[in-house]
Amino acid sequence: MINDKNSQKIVDIIQNWARQHSIWVLAYGTGCGAIELPPTMTSRYDAERLGVRGAATPRQADVLLITGYLTTKTLKRVIRVYEQMQDPKYVVGFGSCTINGGMYYDSYNTIKVLDKYLPVDVYINGCMPRPEAVLSGFAKLQERIAEGRAEGAKKYKENLEWYRANQKKIIPNWVMPDYNW
Amino acid sequence: MESVLYNILGAVATFLLAFVVGMIYGGLNRKITARVQNRKGPPFYQNFIDAMKLASKRSAIHHGIMQHFGPAFIMVSSVMSLMVVPVLTHNQWFPNLNFHGDLIFLLYIMVFGPLGMALGAGQTGNPNSAIGVTRGLSLMTGFEIPWVMALVALMIQYHTTSIVDLMNVQIQSGTWLMFSSPFAFIAAVMAMLGMFRYSPFDIVGAPAELASGPISENGGKYLFVMMSAGSVFAFVKLTLYVDLFMGGADNLVILLVKTFVLYLIPVLYSLTTVRYRTEHAIRWFWGWPSFFGLLAILQAVFFK
Amino acid sequence: MKELKEQLINRIKAHFPDITVENNFNYNRFDVSINKESIHSILFYLKDVMGFKHLSDTNCVDWLEEGEFEIVFIVWSPAEKIKIFVRTRIDRNNPVLETLDMIWPQLHTYEREFREMFGIQFTGLEAPDEFILEDWQGPPPYRRDFDTAAFAAETFFERPGREDAEDVREAITKLTGEEIPEFAKKYSR
Repeated sequence: MINDKNSQKIVDIIQNWARQHSIWVLAYGTGCGAIELPPTMTSRYDAERLGVRGAATPRQADVLLITGYLTTKTLKRVIRVYEQMQDPKYVVGFGSCTINGGMYYDSYNTIKVLDKYLPVDVYINGCMPRPEAVLSGFAKLQERIAEGRAEGAKKYKENLEWYRANQKKIIPNWVMPDYNW
Repeated sequence: MESVLYNILGAVATFLLAFVVGMIYGGLNRKITARVQNRKGPPFYQNFIDAMKLASKRSAIHHGIMQHFGPAFIMVSSVMSLMVVPVLTHNQWFPNLNFHGDLIFLLYIMVFGPLGMALGAGQTGNPNSAIGVTRGLSLMTGFEIPWVMALVALMIQYHTTSIVDLMNVQIQSGTWLMFSSPFAFIAAVMAMLGMFRYSPFDIVGAPAELASGPISENGGKYLFVMMSAGSVFAFVKLTLYVDLFMGGADNLVILLVKTFVLYLIPVLYSLTTVRYRTEHAIRWFWGWPSFFGLLAILQAVFFK
Repeated sequence: MKELKEQLINRIKAHFPDITVENNFNYNRFDVSINKESIHSILFYLKDVMGFKHLSDTNCVDWLEEGEFEIVFIVWSPAEKIKIFVRTRIDRNNPVLETLDMIWPQLHTYEREFREMFGIQFTGLEAPDEFILEDWQGPPPYRRDFDTAAFAAETFFERPGREDAEDVREAITKLTGEEIPEFAKKYSR
């Protein structure tokens, strides 16, 4: 009865509804995009009415918001942070730099395509995306969660070797703890 | 046998009530904060959604057995203090396990939770946790002084250490203790500001500064247990204050009104102030609140 | 100001006769070029004797065609309100210089950066090899013969874009029915 498929479906719907309306964001301020978050959170745009709230540590966070360009040096830290987060977890790539490098397309130490290194659920394009765009990105993420399609963590675990190979390609000196240490 | 079953059912009912009311109060706090900041704010049931989400996290890492016990200690402390505090004056549905001397028992058991959390946070190895724990214990040394002074004043004045006896005193005399021993009430309310750990005494959590302090390594289900325990504990504190100083409550509606009015004090005070540093917070508690506590004891000794 | 600048130049020239001075700026600046053996003594002289106490900035210029690196120290005198660009050149194939961080301690950081970004070796500089770049294995990236675009294309993944590189703005406006304003048309390809 408990492990019945239909009852599991109902449980999934309820859980996804809760996940959808309670999004705790770890805003990893890698680049210039971090400046767009205070207006998103404060009284003009008020993301908290959608259940979007800041989280202080990766252990409590649901969404890793990568705001802007990622140098190879920050990518190392982002990977560490991402692996410390608890399942289910989502990644939101924020700004052009995470999509195709943006204005740092020919930089010698900035990665260009984020989803080769971490499973990205939603991209928000723009340079910079305005708070409206950020909110619409969160709305898109909520849609995906409700449909049960935001399973980046599962994808990451299943294809961990592929992601690791990509990560190790640009981080040659790999001294990192194990997954979810 | 029947009475045992009745007690167990009543305890479960009390716990559920405390959980629901505590969570809704937490949500209302967020809503009030949002309205004061000219925002729409989350719905009042947002805390339930958060709790549900935290409970449905698929993984929760832990660093050892003591961290496992940390949230459990907080929960045990909250539930034990809930069982001692009478919810209503003429309670049929909410039995409590109070006895002579339960006020002293409460003084001890309310410290037990934070101490358990300190043990749990110590094992996570996170430096923020360690700082948060030291701050939390320092803050406790701050607000325990006026709080204990207020309670001792009540004990001296009415020659009892039982909460039910104190409630009976208020019913017989017809006046609330907040009027007959006002200094004790003032000291206790000032201590309550520290107990709730809202701003300006949010030095333990301090999200932007300490990454939420002792709980920084706890995610998912651990955080869920801590959140529920915190909500229950908030209800316990408010009910205890209502019992001690505001004459208790005959039914649930009066209880909710009285507790909510009391709850508005730390909430609204938190909106007007910013975070103190640890030494400032302790100095604050050892200043006027302790002075009022001393006045309360003097009043209890000389003007019975 | 012109007289003041002439006066200062003469004072420097009295001590360092082999400098070349460029003084064709009509604001409070003149440039001094000197060989690399005398750079310590001129900086010491400017700082301790002439009152140019403040080091505003330090830069390195890669003269690839001439096979030289040029290091520029910008010093500022709070009393005279004059800034001097002190330039010195070192060989690009053997870029070695004595460390200068005893003059201004903040030069320590600049020297570490030059060592990492240009490959200039400072003898006597006591600092770890790694400064900003972590696990860097390529050549020093600020040298002009280092092709960053090729390096980035080789090292990092690239998202394939549209093959035809067409301006899609008109297609979008047809879909949504909005109009491109007149001033924006000249920017479209």
